[in-house]
Amino acid sequence: MKKVLIVDDSISVSRQLQKILADSGDFEVIGHARNGLEAIKMYQAERPDIICMDMNMPEMDGLTTLRTLKTMNKGIQVIMVTSLGGVGDKYIEAIKLGARDVISKPFESDEVIEKLTRL
Amino acid sequence: MAVKFFGQFLAEKGVISGEDILKAIALQESVNLKFGEMALSMGLINESDIKRVQEAQRSEDLRFGDMCEKLGIMTGKEIDQVITKQKNSHLYIGEALVKVGAIQREDLQGYLDSFKEDQAPYVIEKVTIPCNTPYGELIEVSVDLTYKMVTRIVGLTFKPGQCEVVDRIDHSDTVASIGLSGDISACYLFAVSSSIRELIAKAILEEKDVANEPDEVMDDTVMEFANIVCGNIAAKAAQLGKKIEIAPPEVLNIAAEGNELPEDGKGLLFPIYLLGGHMALCMVIKEI
Repeated sequence: MKKVLIVDDSISVSRQLQKILADSGDFEVIGHARNGLEAIKMYQAERPDIICMDMNMPEMDGLTTLRTLKTMNKGIQVIMVTSLGGVGDKYIEAIKLGARDVISKPFESDEVIEKLTRL
Repeated sequence: MAVKFFGQFLAEKGVISGEDILKAIALQESVNLKFGEMALSMGLINESDIKRVQEAQRSEDLRFGDMCEKLGIMTGKEIDQVITKQKNSHLYIGEALVKVGAIQREDLQGYLDSFKEDQAPYVIEKVTIPCNTPYGELIEVSVDLTYKMVTRIVGLTFKPGQCEVVDRIDHSDTVASIGLSGDISACYLFAVSSSIRELIAKAILEEKDVANEPDEVMDDTVMEFANIVCGNIAAKAAQLGKKIEIAPPEVLNIAAEGNELPEDGKGLLFPIYLLGGHMALCMVIKEI
């Protein structure tokens, strides 16, 4: 079972993602971080297989966090889950920085599972 | 289910990869000349003109063409010629994807048709706002997308009320606030009563019963709803060639008697009439 870290300042999105992933039976959510700084600490402590991360967060935004995580481990699997997915510049920057995919909010549970399974 | 751009739509369908998008973008960047580059290639300006314009742009926020006209480097007619040539020679993402071999030319029209169909629910409809409202087009996008998301995400039917110009915000049980910057300087406020907050929470959390959820979670669902709307506003704005940055959402505490807007702020209130509760959108814009 793949270990997933959810990074989002919204409690409700974290809960929604946790439910979708738990119901699939293929993923285990090992924690929630509320911003980029927390995400980096939790990544170092938990070493998840996959990180699902928002872009628009306080303290440290998702793209800055992605850049930092990639310097720590180039092979880390990150999927951005964001309301900004349809903004071309943000999408492209995320892919350039090494995000494996971008999921736009609002999302469907099938879409989330399909994209995480594809990794 | 959201506002998307064509490359993203194809990637989500599994037709192309993120790598394909990057190759197509790199090709677009090499082919689609910026205004100054195009004017230079047409022999209308020279390198020293470019330096002059860039220097002047440091102290005045004007687009390259407008600054050329102001400095007497180009005439209005020449500027139009450059813009026309830019448009006529523009390499669109679909064509770029064909050129880098990510999709076949014969499939392009079919993909464009599917994309148009997917995005049809997000075609912006006319919203009546006062004449000479700053950022008029972006305000219309914001209001119309809010209406669309209320229907698509929360599943509510409602009647949009007429826009009112206000100088204060009335009290509501929850008011989510998101700062918008870039090509707009505004604050997006989404206000709901507790009964509507419950419906939003059910939709966002995908739960039938939210009676035992703490206030923090309930408010968070309203903030998340506003966040989704604003992200999609930014995506739609990008399609219109405008850039909008959105701040993380927060909940505002509005006093029982309401809160005054800042002196340089103007509120455009859009009441949303529905059964069993209260909902309103207020765009607070800085007077220009």
